[in-house]
Amino acid sequence: MLLPKEKLSEALGALAAEANVIAPVKWEGDVFFMPYKGGDVCLEGNGKLPPKDVLFPKTEKMYSYSIAKGTMTEHNDAAATILFGVRSCDAASIERLDKVFLEQGYKDGFYSAKREGLAVIAMGCDKPMATCFCTSMGIDPMKAEVADVQMCPVEGGFTVEAVTEKGKEIVKKWDSLLDKKSKAKPAKVECSLNINVPEDFEKKLMDMFESPIWDDVTKACLGCACCTYVCPTCYCFDINQDVHGDEGTAFRCWDSCMFSDYTRMAGGHNPRPSKKERLRNRYLHKLAYYKDRHGKYLCVGCGRCIANCPAHLDITAFAEKAMEVE
Amino acid sequence: MINEIKNACLKAFESGEVGYIIGWQATRFADKTTPLFMRSAEDVEKLVWNKYCVNSTAKYALEDKYPEKKIGIILRGCDSRAVARMISDKQLKRENLYLIGVVCDGKEDPICATCSHKTPVIYDVLIGQPTTEEISPERFAEVEKIAAMTPDERYNYWAVQYDKCIRCYACRNVCPACNCVECYADQYRTGWQGKAHNRAENQVYGLTRAYHVGDRCIECGQCERVCPMNLPIMSQTRKMLKDINDLFGPTECGLTIEEAPVLGEYDLNDREEFM
Repeated sequence: MLLPKEKLSEALGALAAEANVIAPVKWEGDVFFMPYKGGDVCLEGNGKLPPKDVLFPKTEKMYSYSIAKGTMTEHNDAAATILFGVRSCDAASIERLDKVFLEQGYKDGFYSAKREGLAVIAMGCDKPMATCFCTSMGIDPMKAEVADVQMCPVEGGFTVEAVTEKGKEIVKKWDSLLDKKSKAKPAKVECSLNINVPEDFEKKLMDMFESPIWDDVTKACLGCACCTYVCPTCYCFDINQDVHGDEGTAFRCWDSCMFSDYTRMAGGHNPRPSKKERLRNRYLHKLAYYKDRHGKYLCVGCGRCIANCPAHLDITAFAEKAMEVE
Repeated sequence: MINEIKNACLKAFESGEVGYIIGWQATRFADKTTPLFMRSAEDVEKLVWNKYCVNSTAKYALEDKYPEKKIGIILRGCDSRAVARMISDKQLKRENLYLIGVVCDGKEDPICATCSHKTPVIYDVLIGQPTTEEISPERFAEVEKIAAMTPDERYNYWAVQYDKCIRCYACRNVCPACNCVECYADQYRTGWQGKAHNRAENQVYGLTRAYHVGDRCIECGQCERVCPMNLPIMSQTRKMLKDINDLFGPTECGLTIEEAPVLGEYDLNDREEFM
């Protein structure tokens, strides 16, 4: 099935009439995933920030209390949401986050409420950016992991395939817009940036904790949190309170393992005292610890950390250096 | 020019006085370089000098306050002002540094457009012909553009900027004037800087930083270069500098190594009509 290019706005409009649609749009000179309010979407590039805050907001209220009134109110706002135009890298990140928030013996209520109401319309990626390396991380740019509907750009429009029941409901709404006779098939896509990650790479990295390589590969790092905040799979958060007299609200917000207070303990000791230990943790979490636990890399190869790092550090360059270590 | 810089590095290693030298090296991307830390003569071949050498080399010296040997730094004009800033702020010692100054040819970044010091202001050895320097007529153009807005327009302008801000602190970490041993934003349980990611907390951070560095800003523009969300951060410190210029006469920071911050010193001849 094919959705002609000129029908895309109409198709999204039909969904937006009934649900909250988040789509990549141009804003302030960059592409962001934002509520779709009609008009053109932007499918160039993979977006400045990943769509992870749809499921894991930068800041979200957890509960409010009043001691005087003796009340406590839980907050958990989740509306049915359709996420459109997600590339395979970002879609894979949702699968990685699901494992963390839903499948570790405890189901995170805030995440799961949003996740259950989420439908993902994935968009195949036919123009990987220079910093993209998802194919090296075992991801297919044209087939997304958690897609309810898989679309792919082809000549004149987009192929449409309903993958799940949720996806079939969506495609039903597009019935009159689709060209059902089309046999268009997306072309195979390869990233220009490739690293040949060996089998059991995570095992090798796990043994490299004390390697002298870390001094070298972390030296240029500025110790900011840019890489973690543009990363689709970084999921660390902090819980804090806004207190006014005897009333207050607890909230959770994004946190970063690159910050000094992230591992600071009550007595002031910090087991990760410098950027060397912090960046080592980040690289190992992406390429070793998570894989060891869940069988997949926590890096999905979107390349945002490479594109945005102020010091131009490159996780693929690190991986290649680590491969060379005897 | 690259050969002259490499020779200066080799000579520095030969002297035995320099432990390592900070410069730039190529990455897999033709349009990106990354800081290079040369530890011996063998590393010098990795050094590059091209229009993509945009990273500041100076601030890394702060990580090594008690070096065994001198820290070598390859400096463009802005990097030399960063070194002057940190020496003036008593964070670095001049005798711990070996400075290889290079007259900058302008780099591939918008921040370089209003540069007024391509020739390093301090150095031990200088490579290239010193240029005639003049203050760019565009220096305060962005400040004037924002000042011309109505209060509501200006509020909305900054509101959008701080809705974008992800508070990664890259601007702080790259800034040579941000040289506090511990930033107020990292202090534990003081409540100065809330952790929530929202417009209000982001603006608290932006304002605090602007006021803290405004009278010491060397206008290298690194804050804007590193900002992943493209916030016009330098226009804030330049607003402070413009006011200082208007009130106290022509001022540029980071030109000498014995410079008191404008708002941190008192002079009997200062204007005091507000008293």
